[in-house]
Amino acid sequence: MADKHNIFAVALLAAIALVMPALAQEKTPNDPRLFTPGKLTVSTSEPAYPPWVLDNNPEAGEGFEAALVYALAAELGFKREDVVWVDVTFDGAIAPGPKAYDFSIQQISVTPDRAKVATFSDVYYQSDKAVIALPSSTVANAKSFADLKAARWGVAVGTTDFDYVTNVLGIDNAQVYDDQAGVFQALQGGQIDATIAALPTALYATCCQVPDARITALLPKDPKDEGLGLLFAYENPIVPWINEGLAALKEKGTIDELVKKYLVADPNIPTISE
Amino acid sequence: MTRRPGKGRRQIALKDRLTPVLISLVSVVVVFGAVAWFVGSAEQWPRIQLQFFSLDAMLEAAPGVARGFLVSLQIWLISLVCIGVWALILAIFRAMSGPWFAPLRVFAVLYVDLFRGLPALLLVLLFGFGIPALNLPGLPKEGLFWGGVALILSYSAYATEVYRSGIEAVHEGQSMAAKALGLTQWQTLRYAILPQALRNVVPAMLNLVVALQKDVALLSVLGVRDAVREAQIYTARTFNYSSLVVAAILFLLATIPLARLTDHLQRKDRQRRLQGAL
Repeated sequence: MADKHNIFAVALLAAIALVMPALAQEKTPNDPRLFTPGKLTVSTSEPAYPPWVLDNNPEAGEGFEAALVYALAAELGFKREDVVWVDVTFDGAIAPGPKAYDFSIQQISVTPDRAKVATFSDVYYQSDKAVIALPSSTVANAKSFADLKAARWGVAVGTTDFDYVTNVLGIDNAQVYDDQAGVFQALQGGQIDATIAALPTALYATCCQVPDARITALLPKDPKDEGLGLLFAYENPIVPWINEGLAALKEKGTIDELVKKYLVADPNIPTISE
Repeated sequence: MTRRPGKGRRQIALKDRLTPVLISLVSVVVVFGAVAWFVGSAEQWPRIQLQFFSLDAMLEAAPGVARGFLVSLQIWLISLVCIGVWALILAIFRAMSGPWFAPLRVFAVLYVDLFRGLPALLLVLLFGFGIPALNLPGLPKEGLFWGGVALILSYSAYATEVYRSGIEAVHEGQSMAAKALGLTQWQTLRYAILPQALRNVVPAMLNLVVALQKDVALLSVLGVRDAVREAQIYTARTFNYSSLVVAAILFLLATIPLARLTDHLQRKDRQRRLQGAL
């Protein structure tokens, strides 16, 4: 009998010995709940565009989202080389099921509908929407939502731009393309008059992707669009820890600095608010 | 006593008929039950069910997807008419004999080689984005229009070949007989060859018709909001895929009756042709 008790006690001790370090390691880079303990595995789109990721090379840490991830990793105690990047499409990021990374960062907007089936971090940035059009277009002189409504609109599928055009501007016949590249192609071909995008995306588009086009106006935020968040596999247990890191970065002013560095707007763009 | 033919045969047939039916039923239940159990036992199943088969989400997505489906149907029907006519013209070009018609034959051959050799998606992108970007005056700019043109050009190449197979399947004796009656080349085609050829190709054509209905979704890359695109819009907004299931159901509702119609036409055609032999 005594032997049996001993075996039981040893087994119990062994179990505790196994579990204790695991508990102790939570919220450290060796957190066993990470996709690869010891590494912070982050996914972004391929290609990723400036100013979110510069040169399509997130490892360089240049661009708002790339820099944010490295700042967050440092805040959570990861070494720079422990950040691992993987590619995932928007569709892959939003699909249900387990993920081969800890979280995805690719300007995904948090909305109440999405939050029902997906798990987001706290919002790390909220941007204005910008109207992009060719200078020759009638949209360039629009003063009100009514003026904007008369134009032919196009947006990319998967963006909250579509919801904005539909719900805030009240346009029900917007063309919906596969991606931003398709939208700009249609804009240049004269198939649509205007599109909208988050202001930083719009700034890059009008400087480098479609130099003919201009940001013709800024629009107020959509109250239903809460801003950009990191996207996790549903109910991933590390979310509170990541949120602590984001909160610390906000408090230190790191996020504001990154916004200033990468996402500043020309202050001379008119705003249309009704 | 006079033998009543067929009675004994029917009794055996009843028993013989029942056993296979029972075996089929049992095996269907076992196989699909096993699949259902296997899928349902997956840890992620409740979440998949919520994100793919949520009735609430389906109902919410249905009006938008149905509106998109109507757009798909319109493109489909208009393209069908154009393809049917254009492919027939090409097939006739191809069937014309005589040295004077050589340019037409060469054109038809090159056309089929070119458009059958290119992916439909590539054509849709080239036409839908490329031609409007040329900014040529007087040409329409809508992605819908040029995408439709690309689909028609692409599918006509396949349909031409189907027509041609039908034309070539008509026995040579038919055209010889027509010639012997003094019919011209055109009259031979019109009155002797084509009526038989067209009847032969109906099932193969319906196959293309079903395929085209699904390929209309390609036009979504040009911004056209068809059923699939409307479903994607809903998915992107809510991260819920039930809208895709709604689109799938609508497509099946349209294509399954077509498949049955094809079967029916084929059966009727066989009966008609074998009438003399039976």
